[in-house]
Amino acid sequence: MATRAGALSYLAWRALVAHPLRRLFRRRGTGLERFRAAYVAEGLGPTTPEDRAIGEAASACVACGLCELGCELAVAAPAVRALGLHAAFRLYSRSVAELPLATSALAACAGCDGCDALCPTGVPISRIVRHLRAKVLGEGAAPAQGDRG
Amino acid sequence: MVSPRAVAADVLVVGGGMAGAIAALAAREAGARVVLARRAPGATALSSGAIGVAPDPLALPGEPLRAAREPLEAARRLARLRPDHPYAVLGERLGALPEALAFAARVLAPLLAPPLERPRFLATPFGTAVPAALCQRSQAAGDLLAVDGALVVAGLRGHLGLDAALAAAGLERYRARGGPRAFAVEVDPGLGEVGLFRPHELARALEPPGAAEALGRAIRAALPAGAGAALVPPVLGLRPEARVPERVAAAAGIPVAELLADVPSVPGVRLQAALEAALAAAGVEVVQGALQGAGPGKPAMVGADEITAPRWVLATGRFVGGGVVRRGTLREPVLGLPVQAAEGREAGVDLAARPAASLTGAARSGPQPLLSAGLRVDALLRPLDGRGRPAADGLFAAGAVLGGHEQASDGTGLGVAILTGYLAGRAAARPGGGE
Amino acid sequence: MDYDVIILGGGANGTGTARDCAMRGLRVLLLEKADFGVGASGNSSGMIHGGIRYMLSDRHVTALACRDSGYIQRIAPHLLFRIPFLMPFTTRAAGATLRDRAAWYATEVYVGTYDLFQPLKRGKPSTRLSADELYRLEPGLRPGLRGAVTLDEWGIDAFRLCALNALSARAHGAELRTWTAAREILAEGGRVRGVRFRDALTGEEGEARAPVVFNATGAWSPALARRSGAAVPMRPGKGVHLTLDRRYSNYGVILSAVDGRQMFVMPHESESIVGTTDDDYYGDPDDLEATNDEVEYLVEGAASLLPGVRNARITRAWCGLRTTIYAYGPNEDALSREHQLHDGAAYGRAGLLSLVGGKLASYRAQAEEATDRIVALLGRAPVPCRTHEEPLPGGDEVPDPAALARAHPVAAPVAARLVYRHGGRAREILRLLEEDPRLGLVLCRDEGILAAEVVHCVRHEQVRRLQDLRRRCRLAVGACAGLDCARVAAQLAARELGWSPEQVRAELADLLDAGWRERRPILDGAQLVQEELVRGAHAAAGAPW
Ligand SMILES: Cc1cc2nc3c(=O)[nH]c(=O)nc-3n(C[C@H](O)[C@H](O)[C@H](O)COP(=O)(O)OP(=O)(O)OC[C@H]3O[C@@H](n4cnc5c(N)ncnc54)[C@H](O)[C@@H]3O)c2cc1C
Ligand SMILES: Cc1cc2nc3c(=O)[nH]c(=O)nc-3n(C[C@H](O)[C@H](O)[C@H](O)COP(=O)(O)OP(=O)(O)OC[C@H]3O[C@@H](n4cnc5c(N)ncnc54)[C@H](O)[C@@H]3O)c2cc1C
Ligand code: SF4
Ligand code: SF4
Repeated sequence: MATRAGALSYLAWRALVAHPLRRLFRRRGTGLERFRAAYVAEGLGPTTPEDRAIGEAASACVACGLCELGCELAVAAPAVRALGLHAAFRLYSRSVAELPLATSALAACAGCDGCDALCPTGVPISRIVRHLRAKVLGEGAAPAQGDRG
Repeated sequence: MVSPRAVAADVLVVGGGMAGAIAALAAREAGARVVLARRAPGATALSSGAIGVAPDPLALPGEPLRAAREPLEAARRLARLRPDHPYAVLGERLGALPEALAFAARVLAPLLAPPLERPRFLATPFGTAVPAALCQRSQAAGDLLAVDGALVVAGLRGHLGLDAALAAAGLERYRARGGPRAFAVEVDPGLGEVGLFRPHELARALEPPGAAEALGRAIRAALPAGAGAALVPPVLGLRPEARVPERVAAAAGIPVAELLADVPSVPGVRLQAALEAALAAAGVEVVQGALQGAGPGKPAMVGADEITAPRWVLATGRFVGGGVVRRGTLREPVLGLPVQAAEGREAGVDLAARPAASLTGAARSGPQPLLSAGLRVDALLRPLDGRGRPAADGLFAAGAVLGGHEQASDGTGLGVAILTGYLAGRAAARPGGGE
Repeated sequence: MDYDVIILGGGANGTGTARDCAMRGLRVLLLEKADFGVGASGNSSGMIHGGIRYMLSDRHVTALACRDSGYIQRIAPHLLFRIPFLMPFTTRAAGATLRDRAAWYATEVYVGTYDLFQPLKRGKPSTRLSADELYRLEPGLRPGLRGAVTLDEWGIDAFRLCALNALSARAHGAELRTWTAAREILAEGGRVRGVRFRDALTGEEGEARAPVVFNATGAWSPALARRSGAAVPMRPGKGVHLTLDRRYSNYGVILSAVDGRQMFVMPHESESIVGTTDDDYYGDPDDLEATNDEVEYLVEGAASLLPGVRNARITRAWCGLRTTIYAYGPNEDALSREHQLHDGAAYGRAGLLSLVGGKLASYRAQAEEATDRIVALLGRAPVPCRTHEEPLPGGDEVPDPAALARAHPVAAPVAARLVYRHGGRAREILRLLEEDPRLGLVLCRDEGILAAEVVHCVRHEQVRRLQDLRRRCRLAVGACAGLDCARVAAQLAARELGWSPEQVRAELADLLDAGWRERRPILDGAQLVQEELVRGAHAAAGAPW
């Protein structure tokens, strides 16, 4: 059984020898690059201040459904229609990792601005839809540049 | 950059829900020039579309439906039990209720059915009955006391929103209290995959020529012998002009009515649309946008419009409408008026900054001071400041922005909006305001 | 005897042990007084961590824990999600002191050493970030931080983990009774002989007999033991979490509360959670509610590094009870500090085995150990454990949501939620749409719950009450608080289970009550608007309000 002294000396060995060596020989790149390589491909990218502002605005949605009355998006595709417009705030915008799955739904927005004036809580709906769409289309293009093989 | 357009009026109404619209219409009828500013639809558009005035607090659980008190009597009883409720705060002026309801029924005549001496008992999708002082024409035939014969709950095939069997089984329980027999049937409206339709889509799909008639014929084909009326989900058309309820009923050969709706509510949307039509017809100028301003007599901004009026009616709703907000503490955002959050004896004590848990009770269905928070007013509907004096000359408030009632769920929301809107609108129309 | 073993408690340990026992051929009865996971398990932070904290005292345990985390991924790959953590470096002084730098380096080395174990659980290696890099990854952090190290862990839907273990046990022949509490453990001549129980929904009382009783009732153990003349010493601690309506960030942030305790803000499924408090609790474990102080403590702590959390929408506050071992024995290793199996023989209850402590993350290993003991108590020949090899229900496959969306009339984001919760069984659920297309209705657009999913859960996942669907498929737990879903789900469940109109209303009231208890202390901003809307909608529809 490991004693505390044993454990501490192991840690000291790690600190003084093993870790510096590992630092020396590990894969190249800065900490940030290695972090990105590990996570961004899994959809776990950083949240920018714009994303967060959009998230905060979207959080005001109370799922009342009034915006759907003015939305052409709702007649786009049956499955998207079944989901409804406010899904754009409540489902798509909650987890960026799953956003790419909503691409076609977001692309169905006609940009008609029929929704905004209908929202009791003042959610800037069309702006959010535009932001998410830009994000998902932008991200769709990212792997091509960032591919490290 | 658009240069500001200066608008002068006698009365500025802030808020376009039931309270604001009725206030504007009442002031207009009294001869005032009225501007109404509104940001978006609010609670009115989300309501079931039937106007609850006052559930009788003293009604016994099993008493016959016919024993129900007329709305004013029920409201008086409620006022005696709940001293913070706007009905109680109005004092004598509660007596104007029948007049206010008649006014609302008149200005919304194409949509609303004329009031009766007694409330109508309207069915919900859960098979319970709710008393309503006023309701839409499309709902009136479902009044449990008006059905001559059996009541048939017609589910639409493929529409998951209504379980007709459950509703009918629930309504059967009202037979002991004088309700009709209730059956469930399923009809195919011939619209394809209606299961995936949102209520408003279904409503829209029934508007074109032929669609409502097809539904009516399908109901007729499914009717059991002795049927006196049919209840369908609340999806009979979004636009009142499409006359979907009438067309369905004509094809069905019996009266057809809608059940009450939850959110999103087609009848609620219809109610909001009817209010807007009435405002336009009466010559009320409606400006779209969030209003910012310092109060009566001072210019207020709505988008690019600068509006000046000596008298204001604040009808900005509660939390859903945006008339009261809470960010750590309760606030009235337009004029910064004090918000009261108290129940019963503690009236007037400022609890607005208390944490949420101490403004709520553990039992969900018990009274929740947080949810009845709102403005405190005097009997003339003038908002009071922290010391209990009218906060500004020429300022009135109406509807859900008033505290003392859980406006969304206590069954008095639209009734309060109509009565206080009516009184505030008439008061604001008089120079000098008030009596 | 009716059974070989009666298992009390449907948390991770009870259901995990029921599964293991059933897979090893024992006749099992499991009693759960409410529903699977309602205790500490479902109300935990839901982290399947690899035991980094044991690294100093016993690296062997860390290896075991990491391997077990790998096993859980193997048997329920759909239910786990990766959480990269940032552990920011803070300083008190204006500039970093030598001591600060040493402490940061020590952290880096410590986490770097954990990297050696990460492959066992498909974890990613840690990195050290400069201050600049840290702010690029999480611009919402308060200024003045000096960098960070990162740490990779896994999260899970703990409610479903419990349910899946229970369902697997049932598939292997175990009998499960939810909403059935053990009232008393029966003993005779120094040995247990069974349990007296009561069904809370039917009122039925009965006795079941078995030579071995495994007590995994967590924080409720002391009370049950007392009623049965036994003793289970433990120290319960209350832990509160807050849920934010969306993924505040894809990265978890480890931070310190005002009193210096460690806290976190981390993504959890498609939301974020802030946790936790830890205070001794001596009240009734059935009467647990978050207080104002606890909510404020968590918000304050989170905002100390992430000031923006104050603007986020908090959707609920929820609590669980930790069961900490009362007193440490002299020479136990680290793992057994976390859990103990008490043998009742010591106080005249031979055949009674009680579990104290025991992490969610290591539930499988604990269950294996408990099952070994149960087999031994029964005097049977040892049978090898296979719970790390056989997938949990739905764990055999993780279908591609986009492909499912092409093959069925559902939107891809909904298919993704379905796959997350049900793994391979998502296919079975979507097949329901072929028979009845209206089951394609999306009941909840927060969580992407399909009508078909509700029907599936009611039919196949031991749902007895409407509120059980909170745990099976997150019905009415999202930000919208049951606005869209509750009423239709109640109707669907009523049809499947034959409820009367009164029962439907009672079930709905009970579901709404459960949500109210969690929201009451946090009602503010948009969530208060939501509450008003939900109340109005239910009142207008004639649901009990
Ligand atoms: C879901 C639900 C169901 C309900 N069901 C029923 C029912 O069946 N029966 C019943 O009697 N009652 C019901 N109620 C209650 C009833 O709907 C309300 O009490 C009533 O509609 C309130 O009307 P109001 O005009 O005061 O407010 P609202 O209808 O909320 O209108 C407020 C208006 O003010 C506007 N506004 C706010 N701030 C500003 C600003 N700064 N500038 C410009 N405009 C502003 C808003 O945009 C909105 O137009 C229900 C409520 C809800 C939420
Ligand atoms: C706030 C918090 C955060 C945590 N975070 C983590 C974490 O991130 N990772 C981790 O690994 N661990 C975590 N834990 C610890 C972990 O949750 C528990 O150790 C573990 O879930 C215990 O599981 P259990 O099955 O023993 O107990 P429980 O899950 O509490 O199960 C006990 C069950 O017994 C039932 N019961 C009670 N009385 C009776 C009776 N008389 N008859 C029948 N049934 C009865 C209860 O209803 C309950 O369902 C956390 C704990 C808390 C409180
Ligand atoms: S702008 Fe887009 S989301 Fe808004 S109504 Fe038009 S189509 Fe719908
Ligand atoms: S109108 Fe506003 S609050 Fe209502 S669903 Fe749409 S975005 Fe949400």
